Order: sequence, then structure tokens, then C-alpha cells
Amino acid sequence: MAIDTDKIIQAVMQGSRIREEKGIIPLFGVYLSMISVQYYNKISFGFENMADNRKNAEKLLVDAGQECGYTTFYGIKNSWEWQEVVMPMIETVEDQIHCFVSIAIAFGWGDLMVHEVVPGEKLVIRANDSYEAKGYVDAYGQADAGKCYMLRGVTAGLMDLLYGGGYPESCFEYAAMETQCQAKGDPYCEFIARKAVK
Amino acid sequence: MNINWPEKFARKGHELFLSELPIALHCHHYNLNLQKTLETSLGADGALLLYQASEESSYAGFTSFLMQHPEIKTIKSKLELASTSYQYCGLGIIKFNHIGPEGGMVVSPHSHHVTGWLAKYGRRASPGCFFSRGWIAGVLAVIYDKHIGYFLVDERECKMTVAKECVFEVTVA
Repeated sequence: MAIDTDKIIQAVMQGSRIREEKGIIPLFGVYLSMISVQYYNKISFGFENMADNRKNAEKLLVDAGQECGYTTFYGIKNSWEWQEVVMPMIETVEDQIHCFVSIAIAFGWGDLMVHEVVPGEKLVIRANDSYEAKGYVDAYGQADAGKCYMLRGVTAGLMDLLYGGGYPESCFEYAAMETQCQAKGDPYCEFIARKAVK
Repeated sequence: MNINWPEKFARKGHELFLSELPIALHCHHYNLNLQKTLETSLGADGALLLYQASEESSYAGFTSFLMQHPEIKTIKSKLELASTSYQYCGLGIIKFNHIGPEGGMVVSPHSHHVTGWLAKYGRRASPGCFFSRGWIAGVLAVIYDKHIGYFLVDERECKMTVAKECVFEVTVA
């Protein structure tokens, strides 16, 4: 069965309109928030600028994205919404990646596409209009390196979740690089996750 | 005041907008992980960055919102709108019962960040609602027609430390 991205996006859009009495959005096993991308970009790039060691700051931001992808999609995978809406579409492990990416699109993270999956070995995701790349260019101009720390981490987190040794120990078994980024002037952003070198 | 919130929340292609401003859906894992990363790495400067980022984004967001709703004119209705927008965004419940142009107190009995922090990391030793503090400062600056940074918001009690509710004190900076 083909993955119906529109159906997944519609489920997220409808579900994200649910508020419980505490003003919180419980959806897909996690608590969701709607926050301006300006906020996320300000704290990511602000942190990078303030840190003594920019490389270390970059790593921490990627790690935050990776843990986000790993824990968020673990919660999503174990939710009743996933069982009801998404599971009927899934035939292979790799189908799950396409569904995860559909949810990421629904979350407003960018126009994402699974470019290549080699089971257990490699995942390549490409993105247009990542809010991180756009936000960086708007605030600072063209970058000299990739700036999509969250999406880079999420790409590795998806591999951890599907091909790692088991939740919750398998986070960071994979690592991702951003090989192209629109913030640098590339035509799209590209993330490649492979087994981490320990 | 009758705001059609679902109408304000729109998808244009792959982008999400709330009242014409781009937003993203993120879950508590990411939001609180970012907070912890900034606090651990930068200490008080990290907390300040969270506060200021939230203040700037809520200032921009609420300014845009009011421009689209010129019929919302009174302070009372603007405060009500701020409170409902906080709730609509899944950020929790916020009550502006004792607030004025010189400051006052704001109470939040529930919030995304408190629920998320407690679920993810457990009890804190010190108040940790930096996002909410900045958010309050930003919207109040808009409502009282002041500049960013006009109000200073401190958290006197915090549910992350297992207080009954979060209590914010607003003063003129």
C-alpha cells in the first residue's frame, strides 16, 4: 500500500486542533506546541554565536534534534493515532521512514523528501524551505556551512529508532551530516545518516 | 471577542502559519531538550536567551495578530486574546487577572513547558519557565504599546519546583 502523505498531514492538522482542559495538545503520544519559527531560530543561532566553541554548540544542537527525532517518533510510533491512521499503510520498515517524514512535513519543518534508504546503512533526506535555512539567511545572510541542525539530527534519530539496538539505548548509534544546505546557496538541503563512528 | 482559531491556523503548501506568521509544531522533547542544553551550556545567559527569544517572537506575533483585528481595542479584550492564543498554541493556561500598565502578577496553573519538563526531567530546584516569562513580557509590551524590554517578568513560584502554580511578577524594567 502506498504511503498517503496527505492523509497523515490531515490527521496531524485535525489532531493539533484538540486542546485538553489544561491548554495542552496531546497528539501522537507527545505534547505538541505551536511556536513561531523565529523563536527556534533565535535560540539556535543565538546559542551558536554565544558559545565559546561553535563546533561544540553545533554538536549540541544536532544532538537535541537527534534526541527529538528519536523520542518524538518513538512516542508517535506507539500512539493510537499511529496504529489507526498510519499502520494500515505500512508494509516494510522503510515505509515507516516515509510516514515519519510525512509527519515532519505536517509539523511545518520543511518540504522533505526521502531520497534514498539503504536498510540499516544509510538514509538520505532532502529538504526545501527548511525553516532553519531560511531563518539563517534572513538574519545573517549566506552561510558558509550547513545550518539545519534540527533536521540533521532528526535524520540520524530516525535511523536510530528503526535500525538501532532498541529504545531507549539506541539513540546516537547513527550520525548525520548536512552535505548541502540552502543557507549556503545550494539548491536544497541534504542530510545523510550512517552508522556513527565510535 | 470571537476569534475563529482554526481559520487562523493555516497550511500553505508545506509551511504552517498562525495569523500569517510562520510557525512549527514541536513536541516537549525538543522544546525542553533545547532549554536544558542552553541552561547547561550557558547558565544564566542561556536562560536569558530563551527569555529574549520568546519575548521577541511573542511581540512580533501579537503585533501581527492585533493588526489583523482592529476591532479588538480595549486592554481587557487584548489580554483575553493573549490568554486564548497561549491556550490555542498548546502552551497552557495563563491568567492576567492582576495586571496593569505598571506591571502586576500573572498566574499559570498549567503549561506545556511545565508538563514537558516534569515528564522528561522531573522536579527542578529553581524556577524554569523562561519561555513563559518572555512570552508574557512580549505580549504585555504590545498590549500597553511599549517597546520590547519595557517589562521585566520574574517567576516567583514555579510548578517545575512542585509549587501549586506558576506565579510571574511583572515590573517596569
